[in-house]
Amino acid sequence: MVKFLKPGKAVIILNGRFAGRKAVIIRSFDDGTRDRPYGHCLVAGIAKYPRKVIRKDSAKKTAKKSRVKAFLKVVNYTHIMPTRYTLDVDLKEIVTLDALQSRDKKVTACKETKARFEERFKTGKNRWFFTKLRF
Amino acid sequence: MAPVKKAKKSTESINNRLALVMKSGKYTLGYKTVLRSLRNSKGKLVIIANNCPPLRKSEIEYYAMLGKVGVHHFNGNNVDLGTACGKYFRVCCLSIIDPGDSDIIKSLPGDH
Repeated sequence: MVKFLKPGKAVIILNGRFAGRKAVIIRSFDDGTRDRPYGHCLVAGIAKYPRKVIRKDSAKKTAKKSRVKAFLKVVNYTHIMPTRYTLDVDLKEIVTLDALQSRDKKVTACKETKARFEERFKTGKNRWFFTKLRF
Repeated sequence: MAPVKKAKKSTESINNRLALVMKSGKYTLGYKTVLRSLRNSKGKLVIIANNCPPLRKSEIEYYAMLGKVGVHHFNGNNVDLGTACGKYFRVCCLSIIDPGDSDIIKSLPGDH
């Protein structure tokens, strides 16, 4: 009876091109909108996970391996699997509905999301979120 | 002998309570609507048949754990659960949204 599809919740995308990827809910629309009459949410996820870094790697290699590619998507609730994890990144101002209207706005929003994800990954927190789901 | 009798009696009362919910309360039957009711936090109790596929069972239990909703594993398969609901089809899982006159919500979640 507790609402759990809230901003900050880590979810796994189940369908589509990004199936199997982890994402975080930025904004949720429980009752839908006129264009999407179903429950859906805006998520920011990881398209390409950072690779595993070993001790032998040089600084240049570590930097290359720690890169993250992000994606933004509006996704139906039935196509995500919520998890018990959360990720508190402040992406509310960057990832908005009108950032997804045009291609170059989306690209800038993705770049900013990528930067935030990378700095969160480098701190070593939320390690579950940045590991690839094996299936 | 005595514990067996008690088990039988409590399944009887679950069926009675379920019949009362069907008559006076609100419920949804079926996997898709159960997940929907858990997502929009309308569901108050989820009942799963015992021959529910284990992946589906764990998925419903996980959603219920996230939403802090009780899950009851019905002592019978989906045919029996459908009969208990008074329907002529099989019901694998159901979600009670509003128990009506029944006390099923208060009496059951000693289970999960």
